[in-house]
Amino acid sequence: MHGFANPKRFLSLATWLTPLLLVGGLLIAGGALAWGLLFVPPDRLMGETVRILFLHVPAAWLGMGGWTAIAISSLAFLVWRHPLAALAARAAAVPGAAFTAICLATGSIWGRPTWGTWWVWDGRLTSMLVLLFLFFAYIALAQAAEREGVSERIPAIFGLLGAVNIPIINRSVVWWNSLHQPPSLTMGKSAIDAAFLVPLLFAVLGFSLLFGGVVLARMRALLADRQAEARLRRKAMEAPAFGQVRGVS
Amino acid sequence: MSAVSPSGSRLKPKHQRLVLVVLALVALIAAGLLAAYALRNQASYFYLPEQMRDDPPAIGQAVRLGGMVEDGSLRTLGDGVTIAFNVTGLDNSVVPVRFSGIVPDLFVEGSGVVAEGTLRADGTFVADNLLAKHDENYVPRELQEMTEHQAAEMAEETMVGIR
Amino acid sequence: MREALDQWDFVIAAYALGVGGTLAMAGWAWAAMVRAERRRDAAKRK
Repeated sequence: MHGFANPKRFLSLATWLTPLLLVGGLLIAGGALAWGLLFVPPDRLMGETVRILFLHVPAAWLGMGGWTAIAISSLAFLVWRHPLAALAARAAAVPGAAFTAICLATGSIWGRPTWGTWWVWDGRLTSMLVLLFLFFAYIALAQAAEREGVSERIPAIFGLLGAVNIPIINRSVVWWNSLHQPPSLTMGKSAIDAAFLVPLLFAVLGFSLLFGGVVLARMRALLADRQAEARLRRKAMEAPAFGQVRGVS
Repeated sequence: MSAVSPSGSRLKPKHQRLVLVVLALVALIAAGLLAAYALRNQASYFYLPEQMRDDPPAIGQAVRLGGMVEDGSLRTLGDGVTIAFNVTGLDNSVVPVRFSGIVPDLFVEGSGVVAEGTLRADGTFVADNLLAKHDENYVPRELQEMTEHQAAEMAEETMVGIR
Repeated sequence: MREALDQWDFVIAAYALGVGGTLAMAGWAWAAMVRAERRRDAAKRK
């Protein structure tokens, strides 16, 4: 694991893995969505709106998966002081927030024709909205850590605290009466017919690969920013007069 | 932390941190889950019919009732606008509901519903808004051996007069 | 009275939002990475 503490080793892997994951993810997710939009039969009750499933479920999974990634990376950072772990946690925040927002938006659009309402304050919807706000808070904290010299441990601790919400989201439809349906996919069981399940699994796979690609791209960007800063600072130290006259921006 | 420990044991503070963080995490998650679990009833979105029977809300208080629309119970009243149906719960409890207004497309007999409204003294629930609840099953129309036409017909049958 | 909404309106709105959002996010991440790495390489050469 500590082999990757060296950014060179990480970069040699990420250089080819990033475009591979991004392109592979886009192709698979795009194919699954086209399948879901054009070739899947309408649902017995919901009719055509069942097609929103192929966006809504991967987005929900990656929104929650994004925070889980933040929590695990934060744990690795707090315990092993692994510098790349802090980077990985920060990198998962924006895509996680984006997928949470997509999950809420597609869910709302789905709710109008099926439930008859855009939004209700039931356990599932409320806890998912809380997750979106947690992402915003985490992004703000991580930026403060980077720019204003706040300890990197603060966002890491927040990332761990926020993980409490993940099992609450997961169990919300079981613990509380809710308008949102109970889980369709439980350990080894599926209440979703194969005609919907197969494209759904492809969509989840495609979006997950895409998510991995975006996280790697974010990590590379953050790492490059840090390296550039460090290099400019070193240059400024080597030639103070030059640095002062020209400025380092 | 590492400065305190003797230089010979580099792993020690690492393990200390691991134990500390894991303990804090376990305590936190347990506390969060306990709090959420304690909220069980307060955070529920609606009353089930059996909950409404055992612990009824005050007459006229705005509440929600959720359950299944009983098969064969749906009918239109004399005024042609108001519909009446029974909502059943997990046991045999039944609450009669009345509603006049626009019905969501997914609202059919044998399917889930959440009604917003008030309980009246005679035990009927007067709804001013209906929400359809979808269950966890996803089944293609074809598999139900129904064409779109037949499905529409069925929906019409269960909705006699509600158009 | 039935609502009788056109379901395709909602499907298309959801797909436009979901696909657009995903592409925008992936594109932004890629562009930000290319920009940052170019800046680092420029700093290296200076």
